[in-house]
Amino acid sequence: MSIEETRSDFHLLMDEVKSDLLRMGAHVAEGISAVTVALLAGDIDAAAVITTADDELDLLSIEAEEKCVRMLALQQPVAVDLRTILTDLRMISEIERSGDLVSNISKAIGRLRGVELEPRLRGLLDRMCEQAVRLTTLAIDAYADRDAGLASALGDLDDRLDELHNDFLDTVFASRGDRILTTQQAVQLAVIGRFYERIGDHAVNVGERVQFLVTGVLPEHTGATRARARREESSQS
Amino acid sequence: MVDTNNLNALTQEEKKLTIDLSPTVSSMAANGEESTIEPSGAEVVFDVEKLDAFYGDFKALSNVSLQICKSEVTAFIGPSGCGKSTFLRCFNRMNDLIEGARVEGTIKYHGADLYDDEVDPVEVRRRIGMVFQKPNPFPKSIFENVAYGPRLSGVKKSKLAEVVEKSLRRSALWDEVKDRLQSSAYGLSGGQQQRLCIARAIAVQPDVVLMDEPCSALDPIATARIEELITELKNEYTIVIVTHNMQQAARMSDQTAFFSVALDSHGSRTGELVEFDKTETIFTNPHNSRTEAYITGRVG
Repeated sequence: MSIEETRSDFHLLMDEVKSDLLRMGAHVAEGISAVTVALLAGDIDAAAVITTADDELDLLSIEAEEKCVRMLALQQPVAVDLRTILTDLRMISEIERSGDLVSNISKAIGRLRGVELEPRLRGLLDRMCEQAVRLTTLAIDAYADRDAGLASALGDLDDRLDELHNDFLDTVFASRGDRILTTQQAVQLAVIGRFYERIGDHAVNVGERVQFLVTGVLPEHTGATRARARREESSQS
Repeated sequence: MVDTNNLNALTQEEKKLTIDLSPTVSSMAANGEESTIEPSGAEVVFDVEKLDAFYGDFKALSNVSLQICKSEVTAFIGPSGCGKSTFLRCFNRMNDLIEGARVEGTIKYHGADLYDDEVDPVEVRRRIGMVFQKPNPFPKSIFENVAYGPRLSGVKKSKLAEVVEKSLRRSALWDEVKDRLQSSAYGLSGGQQQRLCIARAIAVQPDVVLMDEPCSALDPIATARIEELITELKNEYTIVIVTHNMQQAARMSDQTAFFSVALDSHGSRTGELVEFDKTETIFTNPHNSRTEAYITGRVG
């Protein structure tokens, strides 16, 4: 049976926001790769270009959010439409935040001017970049394809990035201990490592929102489960 | 057509009785059939099982089963021709008034078969009031329209003015008519006439109020007042409402039933119940793809 579309303007605007989000996701994924190349090369000019490019992402996010607000105010969305717009709003902020983290990495490149990174650190940065790009891309794919299975797998995939992050921190601190890095440089690198790790977390958050979009059920965090149990316990006593 | 708002009137004594003590309806309930209780603890007012509704050879509604609980607002939504108004009229046997109309299956009202031969449909309509889509005031004054039922119910003359004012206030009409209560109801606008009919229906305090698109003629402010009123009334009455306004169903109902049109085994179009669930579920995460398509405007 063919589907007769009775709210085409509304649904076209929803499609537009979806395209905006895919563009934003691609922008972030490309930014992670570009900023890592600049970091490993110590390329301050390229870093400046990446920092500026974040403005474009900010503008896209504001435009997408305005469209969502307009749809909520004017279209009274329900069911999958409501879940989609709620997901879009959350995803806008997750992706925009990932963009900020890319920008933060690019800004840190200037503070590492003249630092020769040892091969192990370079290798770990390269692999963290690869994993962060993968997570971001898969999160956006899960959203584009409404794939709850893929979305739920992102948490496990993020464990790999967390492991790399831990290895990276250990290596940074070992380098500091060996006086290869100054304290300031070590701290700067540790912060950069944290930025990659947080990009992975944002991808996992996107995955959770996609699960909500598809199933209508919010994945519950362990902490939230504990809080709920405590609340029920106190209400019974 | 018979104006059933006349039939909503309950005597004062009857109002004091519980439904189970109704002389006609309770006789079946006493024969071992009792009201059921939902797992949630809510008392079931209507228990519908495998209901078919016909107009002559035309099957308007097919195989509907659902339960309507006490002190809840239940909304029926769906496209035109899906049988939701037909279904609503089954609850107070209004379809009996239509030539060739009949039902198969059962509707139990507080455990008693509503269509049992011993049940007097007039008695049923006394307890299950109805507000129609089109306003149908009596050719009387505004005051008399509201006072008519309570007076028949035995409300003392000295109390009538109080009942009328209360009913008109609750139907968001008082401020507009308080200075012309003795004027003809026909002098009111369409929207005011409808609110007068709502005031008339609730003035006799029925057990259930059926509403067939009651706000379709009202402006947004009056609609909001009526919706607020309905939400207040559900504490005392069970309310079943047919509406084309899905946002209205979402705002004010506890349960929502989505009806649609399907082809039966003979290739004829017939109404069917697609999904019945908590309103929140229907409007955030419906289980049936047809429900989702309808409420999001992607009509299959």
